[in-house]
Amino acid sequence: MGRAHEVPVSFDNVRDKNMMQLTKLNLVIFPVKYDGRYYSDALAAGDFSKLVYYGDICVGSIACRVERVSATTVKLYIMTFGILAPYRRLGIGAKLMGHILDVCHKNATVLEIYLHVQTNNEEALAFYRNFGFEVREKIENYYTDIEPPDCYLLVKELSRILKGRNTT
Amino acid sequence: MGSSLPPKEANLFKLIAKSYETKQYKKGLKAADQILKKFPEHGETLAMKGLTLNCMDSKAEAYELVRKGLKNDLKSHVCWHVYGLLYRSDREYREAIKCYRNALRIDPENIQILRDLSLLQAQMRDLGGYVETCRTLLTLKPNHRNYWIAFAIAHHLNKEPSKAVDILIAYEGTLEEDYPPDNERYEHSEMLLYKISLLEEAGDLEKALEELNNKLVKIVDKLGAKEIQASLLLKLHRYKEAEKSYVNLLEINSENHRYHEGLKKSLGISVENGTEGVDTVTKLTDLYSDLQRKYPKSVAMKRIPLDFLEIGSFRSAVDEYMRPLLRKGVPSLFSDLKSLYSQPGKAHVLEEILLGYESSLRMNGSFPGSTEQEPPSTLLWTLFLLGQHFDRRHAFDKALQKINEAILHTPTVIDLYLMKGRIFKHAGDALAAAALADEARSMDLADRFLNSECVKRMLQADQVEQAEKTASLFTKDGDQHNNLYDMQCMWYELASGDSYYRQGLLGKALKKYLAVEKHYADMVEDQFDFHTYCIRKMTLRAYVHMLRFQDHLHSHRFFHQAAISAIRCYLRLFDSPPKSAAEEEEAAMRGMAPAEKKKLRQKQRKEAARAKKQEAEEKLKEEEAAFSSSNKGGKKGSQPPKTADTDPDGEKLLQVEDPLGEATKYLKLLQDHSSEVLETHLLAFEIYMRKKKYLLALQALKRQLKLGLESPDVHRCIIRFFNDVDNLPPPSTDSGKLVNSVIELERSCFKSIESKTLLQANESFLNMNKDSLRHRAAAAEVLFLLAPEQKSTAVEILESSVCSHSAGGGEIAEGVPSWGLKDCCLVYDIFSNTLKDLDAASRWKSRCADLFPFSTFFNGVKSSATCGSENYTYCRKMQASQPPGPLAANGHLPDFSALKIIS
Ligand SMILES: CC(C)(COP(=O)(O)OP(=O)(O)OC[C@H]1O[C@@H](n2cnc3c(N)ncnc32)[C@H](O)[C@@H]1OP(=O)(O)O)[C@@H](O)C(=O)NCCC(=O)NCCS
Repeated sequence: MGRAHEVPVSFDNVRDKNMMQLTKLNLVIFPVKYDGRYYSDALAAGDFSKLVYYGDICVGSIACRVERVSATTVKLYIMTFGILAPYRRLGIGAKLMGHILDVCHKNATVLEIYLHVQTNNEEALAFYRNFGFEVREKIENYYTDIEPPDCYLLVKELSRILKGRNTT
Repeated sequence: MGSSLPPKEANLFKLIAKSYETKQYKKGLKAADQILKKFPEHGETLAMKGLTLNCMDSKAEAYELVRKGLKNDLKSHVCWHVYGLLYRSDREYREAIKCYRNALRIDPENIQILRDLSLLQAQMRDLGGYVETCRTLLTLKPNHRNYWIAFAIAHHLNKEPSKAVDILIAYEGTLEEDYPPDNERYEHSEMLLYKISLLEEAGDLEKALEELNNKLVKIVDKLGAKEIQASLLLKLHRYKEAEKSYVNLLEINSENHRYHEGLKKSLGISVENGTEGVDTVTKLTDLYSDLQRKYPKSVAMKRIPLDFLEIGSFRSAVDEYMRPLLRKGVPSLFSDLKSLYSQPGKAHVLEEILLGYESSLRMNGSFPGSTEQEPPSTLLWTLFLLGQHFDRRHAFDKALQKINEAILHTPTVIDLYLMKGRIFKHAGDALAAAALADEARSMDLADRFLNSECVKRMLQADQVEQAEKTASLFTKDGDQHNNLYDMQCMWYELASGDSYYRQGLLGKALKKYLAVEKHYADMVEDQFDFHTYCIRKMTLRAYVHMLRFQDHLHSHRFFHQAAISAIRCYLRLFDSPPKSAAEEEEAAMRGMAPAEKKKLRQKQRKEAARAKKQEAEEKLKEEEAAFSSSNKGGKKGSQPPKTADTDPDGEKLLQVEDPLGEATKYLKLLQDHSSEVLETHLLAFEIYMRKKKYLLALQALKRQLKLGLESPDVHRCIIRFFNDVDNLPPPSTDSGKLVNSVIELERSCFKSIESKTLLQANESFLNMNKDSLRHRAAAAEVLFLLAPEQKSTAVEILESSVCSHSAGGGEIAEGVPSWGLKDCCLVYDIFSNTLKDLDAASRWKSRCADLFPFSTFFNGVKSSATCGSENYTYCRKMQASQPPGPLAANGHLPDFSALKIIS
């Protein structure tokens, strides 16, 4: 058994002209509906919100909100990160995350990245652990309409990596 | 020029001419006035002043001055030339030619006038005259290359290709040995290729080939030369050499299907599509398995055999062909395979293979019999292809199922939504089709194709206003709402014309159809510049090709459609003369629910108010513009103001005096250019019957017979004709009697009514075509026409029709009803409008609703016309969520207010 057909993966920014692609993705990946605030935050995040393409097909996205911490520093909140079910476990999510981390490294203003993950979402937890995200706390009754209602707050601090790099 | 004037004025006169050429009209005008102060009756000055004014938009004054000038100096070639130029600027070429001829009578060797004349002759295809003018020019200027070439072209167009060759040979004789210099290599090469094509046209293939071989080094277009060489060899039956040439060409480009055709012919394999004998198939199979080995990467080598292979070998070949393309994701795969569906059995094989792919991909993620893991998108493209496949076989339920599964799998692929919309269109739900096209559009707002597709679907669903707004997202041009007319966007004009026609708005419909006709007139006009340009640039083959294309321009599909539709409008105008605006509104609202009517009324009121306001504003603007231009005078280089359209809704077109006369104009163009199309003669018949021109109607009838012996429409016309003629009062005039005797003589041409009464003829027509709904419809209609008292029999003929269901071997899938939706709509129309039996109509409707569950016309349960159906809900949602307009222009964020955060 082999997977002989390597398909190229590429990225594109979220723009108002292709916004509907993000909507279509969210509709099938997440059990939650998103409002206008979500979409305008995603647009405003610029290079931190991306669509990911498998060949010519849009198969996933990351949508972030940029939160100002100080005049020169920000935190990145991942609102959604998802790959269409048939296209999972092909390394596409990892490439997308890798791409976003690259953008973060080039843009030294990002102190940390954080997000909420439902406590039963094993695959997402396994996925984020790979990239050095750590569970900061468990928040009970975070969700109102889905079971279980609890989530973990996952955080990855970037300044530490930079520091670590400098000392070695 | 300007003779008879004293030196000072003569100089001024030269200044006028120069100013005209350099477009400094004000200066020219001043000079003219200076002369006229002293010599107010000087003819040539008057004429030149007129010509200058013509360029400054004072048309009436221009004609007046030029005519006066001419009257004062009839012996002046200048005056005649100017008069010709004036006509030419108004595209009155025949008049212009006359003027030039008069000018030449006075000054026969005037090069400028001769040149101007030759252009008009080429444009008007006055070919004899063109040859003569070119001869004169060449005699006067034998050193001028362009006159040689024009002379040759003139002979060519005048169907004397061998004379054209002689001229080119003579021209070559005037050239130096080492011709051409580097900077003219291309031009010279084109001339040579043109000459070779002339030799071929003259039938001298040997010479053509010889010339090609001799001049090979001087020909720049090497590939073109090779192609010509191969095709000449083939025509000369030198098959071995032809074969070699085509093999060489395939080496260069293995995907060019013309090379494949050539190779097959040179191997003596006849390739009449679909009729290959076993022998031929074996030969072809061998040939292509060789070629495939030689060109393992070529797609054409694998695709072409699918056309000729027998079912058995077809199966494995098409299997092998499709796999890599599905893996790669080639959205156009279906249109590539489409032509196979008409071959018996192939559709069925495709279905089996594709369903096999689907289940294997779902189970193992690989193609049947393979262990190789496919990318997830392979399943998506397989489902997409299956959707198109079932759509093609009219199995709309299955098609939808596959497309929906594909959308569930990968909801971001826009082609899926487009395809789903098309399925709805084919199944009879134009509204749902439009809504889906709109959804597809919303997924990439920067895509012009998606926008156009959506506009077209909206027009097909009679959503004209929405369509216009959507189109304007791309077509807005400054303050112009919509410049689709200037862009000659004919699909748009035809589709909106059709929609207006369906809605009974004949004025607006005519407006659109006539716009298309104008585009064609403009295209004819567009040739003009090429008569000089192409000869100068030596693009001679392309030039002649263009001229021939122009000669057949009006046979193009879009013109044909526009002319047919315009004629239908005029026929309807003749049958029920223009209604008042109120009545027209009534027509538009017929069949609407009361609530819709109210909404429409409100909208119309608002529109009227807006239009009024706009009109007032425009008037103000116009006045301002007129004011400022009268102040500034004709500013240099200022565009002539666009004359505003005074009849945007075609109201005036409705008031036409003689609708049949107008219709005849377009009919003539159809008769000249689309005489092989049955519809042309059906319409001719309708027009002439209304004009009571029975001989012309008879002629149309005979042409119909040639094109459509079996057609139910022809049957209708034949019976109607003889029924009408037989019931005419006996003729009182000689010519009337003559007409009658001709008709009697011709009656024998119509075998279907020979030695039968018309009623009997109709009955045997019915008996011969019992199984065709369209023929039954014609028979019922004709019966009612001949014997209104037999109405119940007519109803019975229609109601006892039986719809068979396909057995699935051919193009159409198993179990699909054999009746077409369109024919069923037609029958409904006969019930309700001709037979006026509303009970039967409603019985028919419910019967068809079962056959066509997606049809909005018949209120099918699954169609958007049925409240509560999936399509109904979907269309409502799309309508509510996507008001096109500024919001959409801004990038159309999905309507946020409607979405709620759940978490
Ligand atoms: C989480 C998600 C984005 C992963 O995307 P993906 O493209 O499948 O991930 P990758 O193929 O790049 O996986 C990278 C690594 O993550 C881990 N991982 C991903 N999915 C996993 C699973 N289902 N179980 C265990 N580990 C998993 C693995 O270590 C994997 O590496 P490997 O395949 O070499 O073992 C995807 O599963 C998803 O979209 N889930 C639904 C949405 C969601 O829950 N998003 C997170 C909350 S915002």
